[in-house]
Amino acid sequence: MENGGIYKASSKREKLIIDTDPGIDDSMTILMAFQASEIEVVGLTTIFGNVSTKGATRNALLLCELAGHPEIPVAEGNPEPLKGGEPRVADFVHGSDGLGNISMPPPNNKKIDKSACEFMVDKVSEFPNEVSILALGPLTNLALAIKRDSSFAKKVKRVVILGGAFFCPGNVNPAAEANIYGDPEAADIVFTSGAEIVVVGINITTQVTFTDSDLSQISKSKGKYAQFICNMCNFYQNWHIKSDGFHGIFLHDPVSFAALLRPDLFTYKTGVVRVETQGICAGHTLMDQGLKLWNTTNPWSNYKPISVAWTVDVPGVLALVKELLVKP
Amino acid sequence: MGEAGKKKVIIDTDPGIDDAMAIFVALNSPEIEVIGLTTIFGNVYTTLATRNALHLLEVAGRCDVPVAEGSHVTLMKTTKLRIASFVHGADGLGNQNFSPPNGQPIGQSAASFLVEQANLYPGEVTVVALGPLTNLALAIEEDPDFPKKVGQIVILGGAFWVNGNVNPATEANIFGDPEAADVVFTSGADILAIGINITHQVILTDADLEKIEKSNSKFAQYLCKILGLYFSYHREAYHINGVYLHDPTTVIAAINPSLLTYTEGVVRVQTSGITRGLTLFDNTKKRYAEMTPWTDKPKIKVAVTVDAPTVVQMMMDRLMNN
Repeated sequence: MENGGIYKASSKREKLIIDTDPGIDDSMTILMAFQASEIEVVGLTTIFGNVSTKGATRNALLLCELAGHPEIPVAEGNPEPLKGGEPRVADFVHGSDGLGNISMPPPNNKKIDKSACEFMVDKVSEFPNEVSILALGPLTNLALAIKRDSSFAKKVKRVVILGGAFFCPGNVNPAAEANIYGDPEAADIVFTSGAEIVVVGINITTQVTFTDSDLSQISKSKGKYAQFICNMCNFYQNWHIKSDGFHGIFLHDPVSFAALLRPDLFTYKTGVVRVETQGICAGHTLMDQGLKLWNTTNPWSNYKPISVAWTVDVPGVLALVKELLVKP
Repeated sequence: MGEAGKKKVIIDTDPGIDDAMAIFVALNSPEIEVIGLTTIFGNVYTTLATRNALHLLEVAGRCDVPVAEGSHVTLMKTTKLRIASFVHGADGLGNQNFSPPNGQPIGQSAASFLVEQANLYPGEVTVVALGPLTNLALAIEEDPDFPKKVGQIVILGGAFWVNGNVNPATEANIFGDPEAADVVFTSGADILAIGINITHQVILTDADLEKIEKSNSKFAQYLCKILGLYFSYHREAYHINGVYLHDPTTVIAAINPSLLTYTEGVVRVQTSGITRGLTLFDNTKKRYAEMTPWTDKPKIKVAVTVDAPTVVQMMMDRLMNN
C-alpha cells in the first residue's frame, strides 16, 4: 500500500524535457526544476545559443551531477541552425564557459548516443500526451523532431518556449530576440506546427528581475544551489549594467519555467505567430491578434493559434523563483 | 502665395474618402496655407488620384491650388498590386460617379514640385504624406538636399508595435512602397510618423456622422454622400460602428502638433519576406552588443499618444463651419 502511495504521487509529476543552452539563467532554471516536486525531469537536450552545442552538453552534464542526478540522460542537439552556418553564441552575456567563467572541472558522465531530436521523438512516442518540453534556446531540435515525426506535434503534451519579442524591441537588435534569432526557420516551423504551445517573450521576462539585493538574499540562504548560482550570476550582473543600465538580472528562463509550473500567474492571448526569416527583421516574431477580418489570405491564415503570454503576476513569479532557489 | 504667418503645406495624397476629409479640413484651417496637392497611388491608381484631387479642389472652390501628378509605379518600378477599392469604392470616393473635373494637373511631376517648393521656401514647407511614400523618395533622389530643405514631413504610415491593416505585419501606405518608406524614414528629414496605433484611437462615430448630416456646410453635405461605404467597410472588417480618421488626424497633427505626443528613434522598413512593409521602431534605451541595421541612422519622431476627442471635435468643427 505504501509503495502504491508513492507510485501514485510520483505518477502525478509532469514529465519534462528541458531543451537548453546553459547559460546562466538556464542553469538556474534547471536547478529549480530539480527542486520542484511537481516536475519529473526525464532528460536534457542541448542546443547552441548562450554557448556552443558542445559547451551546452558539457554544462548540462555538470548540472545533473551537481544536482545529484547523474542518471538523467543528456542528448546532444544540433550544432548549427537549420539553414547551416556558424551559430551566434552570446559568450559576452554568459562568459566563454556559459556559466559566468567560474572554472568548473569537466563532467564525469557522458551524453547519450541519441541526438536531441531522436530523444524527444522517442520520449513523446513512449509516453504520448504526457511529456512536456521547456525550450530555453533556439528551436532547432524541436523543428528537427517535428520534421522527423509528423505526429510529434500531436504527441507532445505541451511546449513552453522562452522566445520572441511580442510588440516590443528585441534584445539582439530592435527586431529580434536572441533565441528566435538563433534559428528563425526552426522557430517558424515550431510555431506553425499545430502543437500545444505557450510562448513567453521578452516583453514578459524583462518585467521580472532580481536586484542585487535579491541575489544577496539568496546567497545568504540555505538554498541547495544558492552559492553556485550567485557565483555564476556575477558575470551576468556585470553585463546587465553595461547593456541595460541596471543593477540586477533578467530572469528569462526561470520566468518561462514559472509559466510551465504555474500557468495561472500569467494571462495569455491566442493568435497565429509567424517568424520572419529574411531581411533586416530576420528573427522577428509577429502575432496576428485577430483584431481585423482580413480581405485576403495572408501568411498568417489557416494556422493553429498558440498562446502568447500577455501579462505576468510579477510578485507571484518572483516569490515562486525565490522559493525554489532558497529550498535546502 | 505666401500668406504671412501661415504654415505652407503640400498634401501628398491618394484620395480616398478619408483623404477627402483631410483635404477639406486643411483647406478650411486658417493656420495653414495649402500650396499644392501631389498625387500618388494607394487607395486608387495615380491617374484617378489626380482626377479626385482636382475634383475635390473644385468642390471646395479652390482651383487656385496646383495639383502635381505623382509616380504611377513604386520606387522599384513595379505597379501597385493592391488598390483599396473595397475600402473607398472603385472611384475612391464612395462610388458616387462624380462628373470629371475641368482642371488639369500642372506640367511638373510631384517629385519635381516638392523639390521646387522646398528650394523656394527652405525650411518652411510642411509635407503631409497621406499615401505611399514614392514621391517623397523620388524627391530625395532628385535632390539629396531635399531632407534638409523641407520643413517637416508628417506621415500617415506604419503600425508601431501593433498589427497592420493589410496583414498582421503591415500598414497599407507603407506596404504600397516599402523601399520608398525606408528611404524616407532614414533620410535625415524632420519626420513625424503617425501610425495606425494612433489613428485607430481616433474614431468618427455614427452619432458624430448624424451631427455632420445636419450641417448645411458644403463640405459636410459632400462628405455625407461618400462616407456610407467607408462606414460599411469598418463595420464588416473591424466590427465597429464608426470610421478611423487616419488622414484627418495626420492633417490636424500638422496644424496643431500639441494634440499628440511622440518619442524619437530610428525606424526601418522591412522590404522582404512575409513581413514586407513592417515598420520597426527602435525605441529602446538598450545598448546592443552588435551593430544593427538601425545603428547610426537618423532618428524620427513617432507619435505615441493622441488627444482623440479634441482631434475629432476639431475635424468636425472645420468640416461644418464653411
